[in-house]
Formats: sequence, structure tokens, C-alpha cells
Amino acid sequence: MRNNSVVNHMIACNQCDSLLPKPILSEGQDALCGCCGAMLFSKKKDAINRTIAVAIAGLVLFFPAALLPIIGISAAGLFNDASLIDCITILINSKNYVIAFAVFMFTLAIPSVRLITALYISSCIKFHRVKPSLLVFFRSYHLLDTWTMVHVFFMGVIVSMYKLSSLADMTIDGGLFSLVLLLICSTLVSVTMDEHSIWEELEKSLEQ
Amino acid sequence: MSNKALAAGLGNCPQCHKLNVMHAEKQACSRCLTVFSTRKPKSLEYTLAWTIAALVMFIPANIYPMMVFYTLGKPDASTILEGIAIFIQMGMLPVAIIIFIASFVVPLSKIMGLFTLMYNAKRKTKLTLKQQDKLYHVVEFLGPWSMLDVFVVTVMAAVVNLGFLTSIEVASGITYFTLMVVFTIFAAESFDPRLLWDNHQKHHHRATKTNQEYNNKGEQ
Repeated sequence: MRNNSVVNHMIACNQCDSLLPKPILSEGQDALCGCCGAMLFSKKKDAINRTIAVAIAGLVLFFPAALLPIIGISAAGLFNDASLIDCITILINSKNYVIAFAVFMFTLAIPSVRLITALYISSCIKFHRVKPSLLVFFRSYHLLDTWTMVHVFFMGVIVSMYKLSSLADMTIDGGLFSLVLLLICSTLVSVTMDEHSIWEELEKSLEQ
Repeated sequence: MSNKALAAGLGNCPQCHKLNVMHAEKQACSRCLTVFSTRKPKSLEYTLAWTIAALVMFIPANIYPMMVFYTLGKPDASTILEGIAIFIQMGMLPVAIIIFIASFVVPLSKIMGLFTLMYNAKRKTKLTLKQQDKLYHVVEFLGPWSMLDVFVVTVMAAVVNLGFLTSIEVASGITYFTLMVVFTIFAAESFDPRLLWDNHQKHHHRATKTNQEYNNKGEQ
């Protein structure tokens, strides 16, 4: 019994392994490790509703961001533009399967699965339908965090725009705008999602 | 300073950060059911293996061309360093510096940083804990950003496709570059930052000759 109370009222820093008493936070506060200064957890305002809103917006934006052309160039009467899907099909056609797979995973598959997971977990908690399968979903959400690279792809588009501007006339299309909005949504999900509270919520509901 | 979860027989779940009473070396978290250990098992071995793999991939990534530029049907292949040399000749020094840093300096310093971290987790060094900590965070942060060059080449190859006039094709160097980036991310993922703190504490304790606790741990 003694051990149980220790486990529920203490927290260990994930970076330096210091054992600390678990603080009780009010909304908007962060808890930092007293030994190394790493972030332990934070409590966020209105986390569930905000996550649902941002995740839905992000999922809708995936279609224009992937299908609409991002940038196009024209020179000597010829014109060509490309969307994110075009980038991947061109890589497959030129038999560069490794990069095609990497680009597909990091910019489309993983970010969309991550948003779907965030939406599913948040809505389940909102409507009080917590199931054991949520544990699997939330674990995979943590795993996918490192591999989301929409922001890097966006920087890649910016750099290639800079390079192309000296080469030919360039046009910007709807795909780029959708990509910016998608990037904002994808980043906002990690800002609004309150991981610590969700884990505690899952633990409480599943124990009953 | 010895207020560590490991010494108290507790372990932090790496996924959900729930504190667990450790009954065995390896066990499932009471909250999220992830199987974990108090320290990532064989962390340094895995990190070393991935880092060496990344270093090996760095060589073909620089020898083979990244992309082939066709103007009026005439191919012109360039590697990373050749591409930078072309930009310098064209007088675009800022672009050349950005590309040099993003696709040559950063990957190489990331690999060096990983080697430094591994050394720091094993031996006593002059770096303070704060510096080691910062190094770990920089290496972790840079992970996805090394993919920048891959995405640039991908977008360029897709957009610059005007038939006979000009077109860009992706070449084999970029595949090795992608593999190198993925390997360094795996290396940073398998490194356990708590080893740095453990090692620091171990040397600190040796200095004040109270390392009995650690010797006992080793015998068990």
C-alpha cells in the first residue's frame, strides 16, 4: 500500500531520473524538474475541445495540401506545376523507392495518422467512451511525434522556391497555402494536446 | 543528489511518464502497458551501431550526385559539394553557405555529437552536465531538419520538368542521404540521456568514495 501512494504522488524526471513530489497545477502552468530543468508536464486550458477543433481542421486541409499544385514554373512558353502527390509519383516513376517511401511517410502518412489519433482520443474522452484500445492509440501518438516532418517539407518548398526564382518565372498555387494552414494545425495539435491529463483520465476511467 | 528513481526501485515509463514500482528488470507499465526497463537496454550499443551506419552512409551520399540537371538534353550531374562550388562561382554566396551548413556541416556535426555523447556517458570528461544536456537536445532537435535537402531535391525534380528544355532528375546520392538521416534519428532515439546523469553521479560518488551502493548493484 505504501508503494502505491508513493507511485501516485511522485514523479520521476524523464531526462535525469530525479524523484520529485508531483505538483498540482492550475490551468496554464508548467512543471519543471528541479534538478535539470527539463519539462515534466503542463496543464493546458480547454485542451480536449481545442484539440478536436484543430485536428478536424488539419484533416480537412490534408486533401488540398496533397492534391493541389504547390508551385509551378514557366519558361519559353512551357509550363509545369507539381503537387505533393506529384512529387511522390515522380520519385516512384524514376525508381527512387527509398525516398518516395520516406517522403510519403514523413509528410502524408505519419502526420495524418497522428491527427486522426489525436481526434479519436480527444473525442472519446469528451463523450465519455473510454476503451482499453485507446491506450494503443495514445502510445502510437507518442511514437509518431518525432517522425512528423510537415514543417521541414514546407522549409524545403521555400528553399526550392528561392533556387527556382533565378531559373524561371514562378507561380504559387493553392497547395502552398493549404500546406501553410496544415502546418499550423499540425503544430497546434502538439500545443493544445494535454498528454499528462489524458493519461491520468485514461487511468482513472479504466480502473473503474 | 542521490535522489534518483532507480535507487528507490522505481522506474519511469518512457511513453506515458507514469512512475512504476519495478518488480523486474523489464516489465509492463501499470497505466499504458508499454514494456520498458529503468534504462533503455543496451542503449549505448544501439546508438553506436546506428551512428556508425550513418557515418558509412555519409560517404556515398557525398560521392554520388544528388541530382542531374538537363539543359537542352545535356545532362549535368552534381554532388553536394559540387553544387556548392557552382553556387560560389555564380556569386550566390549566401545560398552556398546555407546549403553547405544544412547538408554538410549539420549531418557531420550530428554524427560527431552522437559520438561525444556516447563518450560522455561512459567516461569522465571536461564537459559540464549542462553542456552535455544541451548537446543532447541539439542532436535531438536537428533530427528531422536534416531531411530538408531531400525535400528540396524532391520538389525541384517534380517542378522542373519542362521536357527537352530543362528538367531535373533525382540521382542516387539522395537515397544514401535519406538513409543517413533516418539512421541518425534512430541513433538519437536509442540514446538514453539518463546515462549522462548516472555517469556524472558515479564519478562524483567515486570522488567522495561512497560508491558502495553502485558496487552492490553491479554484483547483483
